[in-house]
Amino acid sequence: MSGAKQRMREKKLSKQPASVQYSSSPLNSGGPTDRGGWVRGHQKDGGGYEVELPKYITATSFAAARAAEVDAMLKAVTKATGSCHVFGAMPRHMRRRAMSHNTKRLPCRLREVANRMREKGLKAGGKKKEQPKNKSRKARRRHGNLLLEFNRRQRKNAWLETHIWHAKRFHMQKKWGYCLGDRPTTKCYRACYRAMSNHCLLQDLSYYSCIELQGEEDELLACLSQLTSKETGPTFAAALALSGRRQGSATVYRAGRYPSHPLGPVTFLWRPRTPGSSHRQLWIWAHPTLKQDLLPELQSVCQCSEPIIPVVAPVVAPAEPPPPPAAPHPGPSQAAETPGAKRKRSAGDNDDDGGPPEKKIVGDGTRPPSAPVSWTSKSTGILINDLSMEIVRYRLIGPRSHAVLTEALEAATDCEALSEAQATPLWWPEHCRDEAKMTLHRQQAQVFQTFKGIYSTGEVPSGTVLGLNVEDPRLALPQKRSKALSNITPDQGTSWPRRRELMLDGVPEHCCHSSLWDRFVRDNVTDNKLAEQEINRMRRAVLVPGSRLSPTPLQSRVPVLLVQQPGKQVGQEMSSWGAGWDLLLPKGWGMAFWVPLVYRGVRIGGLKMSLKHSQNKGAAHFPHDYPDCPAGVRFQEEQEEQLLNKFKRRPPAKRTNYIKHGCLAPFRCPWQQLAEEWELIAGEEAMAAAAAAAAGSGGERRGQSRGELAVQEVTSEGAGPVAVAQSGFSVLRNRKSLKLLSGWCRPTTSKGQRSLRARDQAPLDAASGAALLPAHVRALAWVRVSLLSKGSPELHAQVCVATGEDLRRLGNKGAGCGGPLEPPHKDRFKGKVKRGKKGNKKTAAAPASEAPDADRPPAPAGGPLDPAAAGATSSSGAAASSSSVGLVLGLWPEPLPSVTSHCSRVTLGWVTQGDFSLWAGCGEALGLVSLQGLVHTLLAQPAEQRGLVLLRNPSALHYRWAKVNVEV
Amino acid sequence: MTDARSPGAAALPQTQTADPGGLPSVDMDPVEYTLRKRLPRKLPKRRNDVYVNMKTDFRAQLARCQKLLEGGGGGGAGGGHREICVHGLGLAINRAINIALQLQASSQGALQLAANTSTVELVDDLEPDDPDEATGEPLTRTRNNSAIHIKVYYPSP
Repeated sequence: MSGAKQRMREKKLSKQPASVQYSSSPLNSGGPTDRGGWVRGHQKDGGGYEVELPKYITATSFAAARAAEVDAMLKAVTKATGSCHVFGAMPRHMRRRAMSHNTKRLPCRLREVANRMREKGLKAGGKKKEQPKNKSRKARRRHGNLLLEFNRRQRKNAWLETHIWHAKRFHMQKKWGYCLGDRPTTKCYRACYRAMSNHCLLQDLSYYSCIELQGEEDELLACLSQLTSKETGPTFAAALALSGRRQGSATVYRAGRYPSHPLGPVTFLWRPRTPGSSHRQLWIWAHPTLKQDLLPELQSVCQCSEPIIPVVAPVVAPAEPPPPPAAPHPGPSQAAETPGAKRKRSAGDNDDDGGPPEKKIVGDGTRPPSAPVSWTSKSTGILINDLSMEIVRYRLIGPRSHAVLTEALEAATDCEALSEAQATPLWWPEHCRDEAKMTLHRQQAQVFQTFKGIYSTGEVPSGTVLGLNVEDPRLALPQKRSKALSNITPDQGTSWPRRRELMLDGVPEHCCHSSLWDRFVRDNVTDNKLAEQEINRMRRAVLVPGSRLSPTPLQSRVPVLLVQQPGKQVGQEMSSWGAGWDLLLPKGWGMAFWVPLVYRGVRIGGLKMSLKHSQNKGAAHFPHDYPDCPAGVRFQEEQEEQLLNKFKRRPPAKRTNYIKHGCLAPFRCPWQQLAEEWELIAGEEAMAAAAAAAAGSGGERRGQSRGELAVQEVTSEGAGPVAVAQSGFSVLRNRKSLKLLSGWCRPTTSKGQRSLRARDQAPLDAASGAALLPAHVRALAWVRVSLLSKGSPELHAQVCVATGEDLRRLGNKGAGCGGPLEPPHKDRFKGKVKRGKKGNKKTAAAPASEAPDADRPPAPAGGPLDPAAAGATSSSGAAASSSSVGLVLGLWPEPLPSVTSHCSRVTLGWVTQGDFSLWAGCGEALGLVSLQGLVHTLLAQPAEQRGLVLLRNPSALHYRWAKVNVEV
Repeated sequence: MTDARSPGAAALPQTQTADPGGLPSVDMDPVEYTLRKRLPRKLPKRRNDVYVNMKTDFRAQLARCQKLLEGGGGGGAGGGHREICVHGLGLAINRAINIALQLQASSQGALQLAANTSTVELVDDLEPDDPDEATGEPLTRTRNNSAIHIKVYYPSP
């Protein structure tokens, strides 16, 4: 019996006479007297009924006992139990809605009683309501109380600094230990797309974790090289990234496990070298779900196992003057102090008092508050710092993002000579004293000025880094929101050479320095931020409303880093679509920069928009499209659960029957099974070919190639760097293989492909295919699929191989004709589901019918009495739910049959992101297919129809023609 | 150059930059670099600027120009311009000329043309395939391509 039921019963019985037993009887002293009141059913302890009957009974006592029983029974009958509402006494058909509220709905004779009851209830209820009443709204909104409340609410999922701004405008989601905006509440899908392609879209990416590594350059590179492989592209050691001029990106693997155990993609930034020192600083930016895998891996690779509680960052730049003594809190644990300051800022506009920030909640959502944030190693001298939530990261996407930046930000002005003289705890006057730094600052400002002459963000080399010191953007906040436009003139004036230099070479190396790298400066800036109130006070004092606040307060200079984000880099069309800038800020300044950026007419996007951004860019989005990474696996499980729950929330008659649509797994993709099955298929075909070759001369050539395959296999086993773990698939990330594959996917003769001349590529034939495959066992290839005609692919749509018949029909009719149809499947589980349900009902009904019997104490068989029966129902319920995993109407039960051969067309893979693409004007999808299957399919297709596949949504029977592209 | 890609965009108003082998021969290993062309630098775009490309259907581009020249047209792009400017770059020069001539022919001589040519500097990135520390400097090169700007206008009465 559930707790609530039990309580209800107890309440009902509380008004009943405690015992019906005539206790004075000497005979019945054993049994039921020690049970308080009536208890239904069989009791395990003390519930035993006496078996042997008494030899004699005394008439008087017997009669007295019965009389007591009758008396109790009468009392029980006359006394109302449970709710004492008057209308409870009325027959059901006479009851009306809201009777207890409006007594006039009752018949006259009951009204008086009801009125009395109501008054009593009101009194009692009023008192009850009084009790937990909250403080007044005014009290609750008072600053301190509000902060407490905010701190309570972000105990589990941390808030970003822009949380309150977002929460007012976005559907928030609790994900990865943060509260993140998913999508705006307004309709702006297209507007956001347009912003990305024509103007600027802003996102708060502060939830990305930053891990800082410090140490000698050689040591760092040696450690980090274990995590990456050159075959997947540039690594941590890429020359330009290492100099600090560009941001780099890499795919990280478990140490030394290259093709098999990937962790995920990271971007990284090296601090530019300081002359005469080989000590380097590196920031690795990773997704929060990746961080929990990456951080232990980094620790083990760098042998950093000793946690440091009090963090004292080593002074990296020897030229740095010692930080002003009063500026940062020197010692205390970073975890204990800084988030408090951040919380205070997270209150944003409500932040009114200038007192010390309340330090309540610690931690950033991805780690417990008391966990150490930095680790060091004696042997390698490397220091790892976890800088999550320490640096605010905003992403501006779109060709006008530089215009937004140049309008919103202003290079910092020198401070006056007067203030330079006296010692201050602020960093900027100190900075101003150093002439070398000031010349650097002036150069950086000049570079920043040349941004104004740029037309599109994509003109700057990808990944360019620019350090800068800017003024507080709140000082020059416009009164109205307006769109920032780049106002360039076609004349190529004096700034042309500089602009050209910027376009060709990017930012010169020395301009990539920024004080943001320095922990002391960061903390100083964060602690000395002017409160919003202070700014408002200055605004009030200004003579002309809306004009710039001057003079600039000393605290209002902030070091920032600007990092260019490359746009679309793969494929041939729309190159550098979605390029933009990332703005890195010290913690606490989030809102101070956010609102001025918003006032420059940008759109704001959430998580959904970043997914669309990467989809249009043709890039894999982190947890979604990395099914071979641990984070990707976790994501898939979550997604399956979510989709299944959503599916189950629909009424059964309105659910899609996926079995009938021939869709085995609509909510997840069994990648492992797919890869294994294709391996099997390929193996069988090889055997068949070998047999054919042995049988006759017809299969000679193929047999040869298979022979080569065997040879290749032997060689690759001998020379192959790694054997893929027996269980497990991997996504192909080897750039050379991808390039090869990409060349094969294009049809050799087609319109618009004239320029394609695969010169130094191996042409697609059995031999080269066979050469590629053994190196990548059970590999999946990441492909872009664009539909030829109608249709919009959905999540987990199937990518299938077209049969020869299909291709012929397509050739006859042209691309306009729709694809083939899948014959509807038969749902042979339907009967089972129904039977299961009936069985459930039966078991549920049984205890209900037996319950009345159970009230009778001398139940002979001691049949399924209440608690037992309740247990039975719950267990049967559990059984039903456990079987419902297998038997939900319309879903295949767990052991799936062969996924490749389930439908009339052989399955190649599935789509992980699919949508109507606004830039291509047709349905486009990104997905993964089995490499073996893809090569196999390409080999079988005629040259002019190479790369054509069929795509089918999980809830449709219609196959659509689509073109597979592998983009490098 | 390992990879003769044709960049340019379908939706963005810009020109096709199919270069007819205008690359100066740089001594580089053909295997080691990937060529990535950046987008051509764009000029500010007025409503009556038409950037011709090779991806969009010819008729559609012609119709767009006609719409711009026809008077009284509503819609986003507007209409009733006295003059439009047709820009073509590289391979699209041919098409730009074609469009301009078609416009003139279909107007029964009411329209006049004024053509200008220019040279556009384009930027290519060469990314090393082998990201080795020693040789891994990505190169950036510039090359020139021809462009044409045709003013199609009604002569002032």
